[in-house]
Amino acid sequence: MTSSNADTARAAELAAEREDPTYGEIVWGQFTKRKMAMASMWGLVALLLLAVYTPILASNKPFIWHTVADGWSSPWLSSLFDRNFYENSVDIFFNTLLVFGTLVSIPVLWVFHSTKRLPRRDRQPRRRRALQIAVGVFVVAFAGVEAFPQQAPKTVYPKIEQALEAKGEAVTAVYAPLPYSFRDGELTEVRKPASVAHPLGTDNAGRDVLTRLIYGTRISLTVGVFAVALYVTFGTIVGAIAGFYGGRIDMAIQRVIEVVICIPSLFLILTVASFIEERSIFHIMVIIAAVAWTSPARLVRAEFLRMRNLDFVSAARAVGYRERRIIFQEILPNALAPVLVAATFGVARAILVESTMSFLGLGDITVPSWGQILNTGRTTGIWTLILAPGFAIFLTVSLLNLVGEGVRDALDPKLRK
Amino acid sequence: MLQYTLKRLLLTIPTFFFISLLLFLVLNIAPGRPGAADGGDGERGGQEKKESYRIFKEQFNLDKPILLNTRFALEQSEVRELLVTGYNLGGEPTAAERIEAQDNLEDYGNYLVRHLVPLLDDSDPGVQQVAADTLTVATQMRFVNERRGDVKAAREQNREISKKNSAVKQWRWDDDASEADKAEVIDKWKAWFAENEATYTYTGQEKASAFFFDTRFAKYWSNLIHLDFGISTADRRPVFETVLSKLKYSLSLTFTSVILAYAISVPIGVFSAIRQGTKVDAGVTIVLFIMYSLPTFFTGTVLLRLLTEGEPFAWFPTGDFQTMTSDPMTTWARLKDILWHLVLPIATYTSVSLATLSRYARAGVIEVIRADYIRTARAKGLSEPVVIIKHAVRNGMIPILTLLGGLLPALVAGSVVIEVVFNIPGMGQYIFQSINLRDYNAVMAVLLTSSFLALIGILISDLSYAFVDPRISFD
Repeated sequence: MTSSNADTARAAELAAEREDPTYGEIVWGQFTKRKMAMASMWGLVALLLLAVYTPILASNKPFIWHTVADGWSSPWLSSLFDRNFYENSVDIFFNTLLVFGTLVSIPVLWVFHSTKRLPRRDRQPRRRRALQIAVGVFVVAFAGVEAFPQQAPKTVYPKIEQALEAKGEAVTAVYAPLPYSFRDGELTEVRKPASVAHPLGTDNAGRDVLTRLIYGTRISLTVGVFAVALYVTFGTIVGAIAGFYGGRIDMAIQRVIEVVICIPSLFLILTVASFIEERSIFHIMVIIAAVAWTSPARLVRAEFLRMRNLDFVSAARAVGYRERRIIFQEILPNALAPVLVAATFGVARAILVESTMSFLGLGDITVPSWGQILNTGRTTGIWTLILAPGFAIFLTVSLLNLVGEGVRDALDPKLRK
Repeated sequence: MLQYTLKRLLLTIPTFFFISLLLFLVLNIAPGRPGAADGGDGERGGQEKKESYRIFKEQFNLDKPILLNTRFALEQSEVRELLVTGYNLGGEPTAAERIEAQDNLEDYGNYLVRHLVPLLDDSDPGVQQVAADTLTVATQMRFVNERRGDVKAAREQNREISKKNSAVKQWRWDDDASEADKAEVIDKWKAWFAENEATYTYTGQEKASAFFFDTRFAKYWSNLIHLDFGISTADRRPVFETVLSKLKYSLSLTFTSVILAYAISVPIGVFSAIRQGTKVDAGVTIVLFIMYSLPTFFTGTVLLRLLTEGEPFAWFPTGDFQTMTSDPMTTWARLKDILWHLVLPIATYTSVSLATLSRYARAGVIEVIRADYIRTARAKGLSEPVVIIKHAVRNGMIPILTLLGGLLPALVAGSVVIEVVFNIPGMGQYIFQSINLRDYNAVMAVLLTSSFLALIGILISDLSYAFVDPRISFD
């Protein structure tokens, strides 16, 4: 008897919840209705997975290596955090995602799956807790990898294998489908056309184009996401302060914004980039962010100006909340919708700017960026070097623009049916 | 409206000032020295090279502090310290410290004079000697600008200055000089200083004016008022002339493209909008979307690779603005030649702006077509073309007309990428080359002119809102 009562109460609760979706759920519901946007989002997820699992597809370190002298080992696994092999922090970051991200994602997915049928009140804290722990583990792992850099001597396994086999020794080696390095070329393999071994041929330094292309995914996505995260954070804070306080502070910030938007951004970006002598990918993100922060700032400012005299803000003031709380916890969550749209398009733009920079030779020259590959294509006239990176940029930018349009429409109450 | 316009016009002045300040700081704080290859690098070459680099620095005001000048407040002990460090007279400075001290001594110039003369009587003979050496440099007078005003008088004046400069240059002694020679030189300096003391001691007013105006930024602005952007460190020609000469290449490229883009995009947008929801509309939207997402450097490279240089098609020239030839050409032939060269760059440039503009045009018409006055127009019994063209299109074009103001800066700035890919000697290519050569005056001139035009463009765009749409009022 009691149990059936509890069941009814539970059912009523569930029904009540269904009647009252959160704002996020409404927007998500709208977003899922748009087929193109959903497809593009899955496309982006695929790109992200490609970026994370790149070493499984392309690496010149064998997964398994066995010789009579060395015994069994996995050079591939130990190379993942090897600073001599992956020189760039971007690669180390993605390799950490590859190992630790995969490890922590399994329990997280399990928690998400097992809490599917629970009511929101029970479900959300558990899911949030799981995510927090996962992110915490990942951050600790990445900090550890960065703090204790591994440095192994450079070994080119395919060559050793050939040498040993020539001597008649038995070697067992299992390689990735593309057993190449994105950095070191083979001088005997310069400018090879597409073949089974090199699906997109090789470039003028004898490097496999497909390998460079998929490693370039990591660079583009990192630049796009981090540059945007950087300037959206900064711009949002500046815009919130300008809109909330108004008056002289607003005047001053408005003037600064006016100054920045008048300067042709690409000119400024190229100029600043040229001053930095060993440009790294992080410099490029900061430069892009330094020029682009004005657009979220203006959007947030407008939202704050509109909202700062609304009833809920007056209520928050009457309760006696501190200003910081009113700004960041009361108004800001309601002002973020246009920023979200701008950020999605912003990622596409940042990727374009980065490839333009590296196309003009003002990017990070040590990483296999798509723009740089295309520039090699322009100077050498090799078709795959032009078309492959061009298509990669086009695809990524299109997917992001389509998702951006989906988000914009999903957030627009006028379009809701 | 008039009041608003005036207010905005006035506001452009401080805005432009702060733009120049920001750009100036960015360019001057940046590492790497212009003209360093001329002999300003690390351990210097011979004395001659060093002197020519000093004059180079003086010419470009690189010896001045960037924004604020406090050099009048130097103390005698500081100057002595610099001499000791710079000429390795004790304290075992590192090479870097030595070079820094030497550079400072060179840059402080005139401000050192009143401290150096007493140092001629220093207890350390080494300090005496380097003080005299430094005096020969510090008392060198600057040449006046020959590029402005009365050129002849300026030349005459510079000849005078040059004479005086070479006279004081001799007042030093070598390591093996006798005491008598030394005393003679020191006496010469003292007599000279007694005569010129007023020039090298500073009153409160002089200090205040030096604080703000004896700086790189102030010197730059005092030239800027005369539209003098300085001379290029690369080819030693006035930068502004070069910028103006580059403008015509960029403009003929971008102007044609924008006119083309508007001419094509408005009909496409309208066509697509009145067939909203049909398959034709979907097709057009997809094509425009693809054009919108294709990066210019990709389109440009593909066109260049595909249609030039013999393989696979040799339809167009590989780049440049026109055929380089000394043969006389008729105007018509030259025009045809230029057009022939510009087909690919214009196509590349147009494809991007076309996509953006068409999307705006379509959205604009769709927005308007639902309005009540369109229904009214139809109800009145007006024919469909009249409704569309007279009522819908006119109002739907407001957003893309105002975009034109925003396009103005891009028009002038041209496109770095397209000009580099197609080798067109416009503003974009110029700034790109100047960046690589560290030609700061040139970079600054391009950045400033394009920022100024952007400022005007934004102003026009804001005002045109009110102009084309009477519902908007700024009063």
